[in-house]
Amino acid sequence: MNEAPAGHDPDMERRRGQEKRLRAAWATPRGWRYWSAVNNTEVGVWYTATSFAFMLFAGVLGLLIRVQLAVPDNDFMTGPFYNQVFTLHGTVMMFLFAVPIFEAVAITIMPQMLAARDLPFPRLSAFGYWCFLIGGVFVCGSIFFGAAPDGGWFMYPPLSTDPEQAGIGADIWLLGLSFIEVASIAAAVELIVGTLKCRPPGMRINMIPLYAWYILVVGVMIVFAFPPLIAGDILFEMERMFDWPFFDPRRGGDPLLWQHLFWIFGHPEVYIIFLPAIAVVAMIVPTFAQRPIFGYSWIVLAAVGTGFLSFGLWVHHMFATGLPAVSLGFFSAASQAVAIPTGVQIFVFIATLLLGRVVSSTPMLFVWGTLAVFVLGGLTGVMVALAPFDWQVHDSHFIVAHLHYTLIGGGLFPIVAGIYYFFPLVSGKKLSDRLGKWVFWLMFLGFNIAFLPMHVSGLRGMPRRVFSYPEGLGLENLNLVSTIGAFIFAAGFVLLVLDVVRPRRGQPYADTNPWNAGTLEWLIEMPGESWGVRSVPQISSRYPLWEQEGLARQVAEGRCYLPDAEEGRRETLITTTIDALPVQCLRVPGPTFITLWAAAFTGGVFVFATFHWWFATLVSGILGAGAILRWLWTGTAEIPEKPAKDIGLGVTLPLYMSGPRSVGWWAMFITMMGDMAAFASLIFGYFFYWTIHPDFPPPDQPDPSAGWLGLGLVLLLGAWWLTVRARGRNAAGSPGALRGALALGAVLATAGSAALIAAAWLPGLDPTSHVYPAIVWILLIWTAVHGILGVVMQLYCIAGSVAGRLTPRYDIDIWNVTLFWHFMALTAFLTVAVLALFPMAV
Amino acid sequence: MTRETRSPRNSLIVLSLGPTIWAVHFLASYVTAAIWCEKAGLGATLSPVQLLVGIFTLAALVAIGALGLSAWRHWGYLENEGPPHDADTEEERGRFLGLATLLLSGLSFVAVIYVALPVVFIADCR
Amino acid sequence: MAELFWLMAGGAALIWVLVLGTAFYATRVRPRPHGEHVGRMLILGGGVAFPLVVLTSLLIYGLALMPELRAPGDGLKIRVSGEQWWWRVAYYRPGSDAPVHAANELRLPLGQRVELELDSPDVIHSLWIPPLAGKVDMIPGRTTRLVLEPTRTGTFRGVCAEFCGASHALMAFMVEVMEPEAFAAWLESEAAPARPAKDALARQGADLFLELGCGACHTVRGTEARGPVGPDLTHVGSRLSLAAGIMPNEPDAFARWIAEAEEIKPGSRMPSFNMLPARELDALAAWLESLQ
Repeated sequence: MNEAPAGHDPDMERRRGQEKRLRAAWATPRGWRYWSAVNNTEVGVWYTATSFAFMLFAGVLGLLIRVQLAVPDNDFMTGPFYNQVFTLHGTVMMFLFAVPIFEAVAITIMPQMLAARDLPFPRLSAFGYWCFLIGGVFVCGSIFFGAAPDGGWFMYPPLSTDPEQAGIGADIWLLGLSFIEVASIAAAVELIVGTLKCRPPGMRINMIPLYAWYILVVGVMIVFAFPPLIAGDILFEMERMFDWPFFDPRRGGDPLLWQHLFWIFGHPEVYIIFLPAIAVVAMIVPTFAQRPIFGYSWIVLAAVGTGFLSFGLWVHHMFATGLPAVSLGFFSAASQAVAIPTGVQIFVFIATLLLGRVVSSTPMLFVWGTLAVFVLGGLTGVMVALAPFDWQVHDSHFIVAHLHYTLIGGGLFPIVAGIYYFFPLVSGKKLSDRLGKWVFWLMFLGFNIAFLPMHVSGLRGMPRRVFSYPEGLGLENLNLVSTIGAFIFAAGFVLLVLDVVRPRRGQPYADTNPWNAGTLEWLIEMPGESWGVRSVPQISSRYPLWEQEGLARQVAEGRCYLPDAEEGRRETLITTTIDALPVQCLRVPGPTFITLWAAAFTGGVFVFATFHWWFATLVSGILGAGAILRWLWTGTAEIPEKPAKDIGLGVTLPLYMSGPRSVGWWAMFITMMGDMAAFASLIFGYFFYWTIHPDFPPPDQPDPSAGWLGLGLVLLLGAWWLTVRARGRNAAGSPGALRGALALGAVLATAGSAALIAAAWLPGLDPTSHVYPAIVWILLIWTAVHGILGVVMQLYCIAGSVAGRLTPRYDIDIWNVTLFWHFMALTAFLTVAVLALFPMAV
Repeated sequence: MTRETRSPRNSLIVLSLGPTIWAVHFLASYVTAAIWCEKAGLGATLSPVQLLVGIFTLAALVAIGALGLSAWRHWGYLENEGPPHDADTEEERGRFLGLATLLLSGLSFVAVIYVALPVVFIADCR
Repeated sequence: MAELFWLMAGGAALIWVLVLGTAFYATRVRPRPHGEHVGRMLILGGGVAFPLVVLTSLLIYGLALMPELRAPGDGLKIRVSGEQWWWRVAYYRPGSDAPVHAANELRLPLGQRVELELDSPDVIHSLWIPPLAGKVDMIPGRTTRLVLEPTRTGTFRGVCAEFCGASHALMAFMVEVMEPEAFAAWLESEAAPARPAKDALARQGADLFLELGCGACHTVRGTEARGPVGPDLTHVGSRLSLAAGIMPNEPDAFARWIAEAEEIKPGSRMPSFNMLPARELDALAAWLESLQ
């Protein structure tokens, strides 16, 4: 390096200039505008802090439960209040901590790990965060008004559909959580596209950090697991609000349909919690073994295999519902099979430790805790996978123990390990090792003291969700010990929180790469800059910091890709999915309040609907739609001032890409997969009712009009064809044809949606009379609403074309709208095929 | 620089094909049994279901076997040094995908057999 | 089932010690890093081969167990309906269509396979007698089955295992397994109508029972009380507990339950008759207690 005095060194000056421009482009807004930030470094931290706040709240609820159960016949809480407390404890832990914390951690560290400046849709992350915050406060706040949900976190009907027994709490649960689920799906889309398209050049598919593999799998799982619950929520809320009898056996419904839909979500959910947490372990273990993971392919096997198998386990939550033994057998088999990939990853970790030189540290201590606790939870899991054994312990405290061993061992302990490990990335400083030992031992011992005895109390016959138990059943001592353990556990956690929030002004910054890790997130300077990585390196190994000599210096000196922000814009690289060849320089949007407004108004729809304030709901919905359209109009598909730019090292990349090569198209595709999963769940509902009824459709109920259904389908397919034509004509240089085709398409789509509604309206299908007309109505409304959404998109494209932001060369919007319409056409076809043809066939 | 050499084998779709076959087999078996037992009633024999699940299982195992075989060739264990396949070359990337596909095929193979076991031991709809 | 549990618990403990022991050895004990073949053996042996053997055997064992546990009963049939928050019970003797109505208690003959038909008119409940068998849910709109084959006589406690609302924790019942002859005699007496009140206090209680309208909800066979809503009280005095397994069967408890039902069991449809003077409560209690 040139040793000339600083300030006169042209290289130094170049770097200073670059850093100044980068800093300006990525600057975090100050003052009250701070809350308009969208960068992952801010949103990720808010997300993490908020999920932990909810976790502490739910933890306090957990302690209340333990106080109540400390002695027999306790009257510390009333039964009804206790029911709210345990329902909210489970709900908050699952929906407001376990899933969001994965999204929070991933949003925070994934870009760093992939040497990306940000994820491809920062405003989507911010939108998701605000949805999460609003929905979470709404759900948690209900308990202070005595209005919290009280039906257990899986809300079984008919108890929870009964308006007299389950008050507004059930609506708060359904609507508040649906809102949060939407945010989770948004985060999943963001993370999938991020993993596939935002890797650094050269990071081929065989070099991705294991964390990213897990996140990819979990993202895909969310896209398929959450929509069935949203579909279930729709049915549930229609029954509660409008008396449509989906779960009412007197009118053809069946409470078991909810259990199916809930657990099709609910079991993958367990692995959606577990996999990203164990992913943190997969990063920590190699670092402290000081060698690459041994068995990379095995971990990929485990992550992908678990992801798939976890969708074949849901009925093991329904082993006691009296289903035929053979049905239980299938799920028992899959539940045993999933133990194989789970075991494999444990042994990969042990093998890596065995082959390395292990350095003791606080994160490793928690990895130990993970192994000790999770392995036990997994073993009891294998036991309850056997239906005959499950019949005995199902819904007892044995299950309470089992689920806490898996979720705390496989979720919380790895996350705490991750907090100790990644803390320097966020604050530039380490947490205390001395306190860390205390935290670990208090948590570890407290946890086992609290939950080990529950195995025994469950076997002795203590059911879960009881607010009291009588004396003389041999449960007194076990419960008292559990309560003491819970407080020890909580003390450990409080100590951790104190260590995180204590002021650490005097403490020096940690060294760069303080643990001597091998992966890219440790390139970051201490303290970090909001641009993330100074320049984007070319990668040629799995552990670049260990194996690519001088990489850190090259990156820090801005000698790699994108070292500058010449135009003052935020930019990151887009690469190909398999070999990570750079293909685009993506401009990502900066701070804005519009996402906050969009979330607030969308949230308003859910909150007002809970209280049946329909006018406010409508107004909020219109404002929300307006905010989202404005966000799309001002913040996406921006036409760059030049077609391509030099990203350094002699590479020039386009600034704009549309169609299957653009990240927006991928996001639309993934979103539509989720949409189809929800639609498939509704179709499943239709055939479920056919299965359980000897006569379905019932002879005394009118069928929807086949003529109107057919007309609706023809019109919607016409709209689809016109949309496809519009894209083609536009690309051929004829924006006028695009406008004409889309305008006609919008007319056809509106008419088609109306025809579908008429198909149920005209024959007089009464959705409150029986489940058959109700499920027909739901399918038609679903399709019609999608049709109208398609109309909005068509009009948006016409407006874009007129305003000059959609041109033959810059045509992202029409590509994405066409993609939506492909799925729309499929939806319309399936709906009409099922509703018109099936009644004729049976 | 902006084109990657892609063959159908080098994709994440192929990687997840094994477990996808498992999922289809699983759903087909479960749905067949559930509908049969709901329509035929308590205590009905499972013979038709046993036959169908047997056919599904055979088909799934053959498909997974073929996939595994192709993955084995793709991995080319006999011609290379074996894992970790972490080098920055297209060959190594291909071998990694081959190995991962092979492992997933193995898991799917076992899981398909597991899912077929219930109809061996359970003969009626109780 | 107990053997299966102890087998699995023992196996689990052993596996836990082995896994954690290996991990401990890997981090703390061993002098220097091992070669890659050791890691390969560990993953293939510990992560693949060993679990494969254990899981396959367990799965086969569990599946083979199921047909027997689901096999039909051989005679006596009992319909049990879980209601918020008590149990409606009807015994169907083989060859007889007339049910014998009872509530909040099960009596079972030793050594017979008794088939329980379970359902519910309101919300999902789950019938669980921990020492006798696993649980089966009672789901509105469905009939589920549980076959019990008690192998020892004695008194056991059963509970509702599925969360069923405000007083889920207060929904239990007693089970008595009897010698077959004793059971037959008991069922005979249970089928009979209530005995007429013997003393004056009980007679006054019987009159009060009808005057207060208790018969609108409760049935006492042999009297004018034929209400179908609440538990059949024809032989309530002979039961092992009161108010679905939560109180002892004593006159004081009867009086307290009648006066404070809503407080004792929140959400229950039985109103509190706390406006009754103590004397009348005593009379009611005396009569109910005499319904042996």
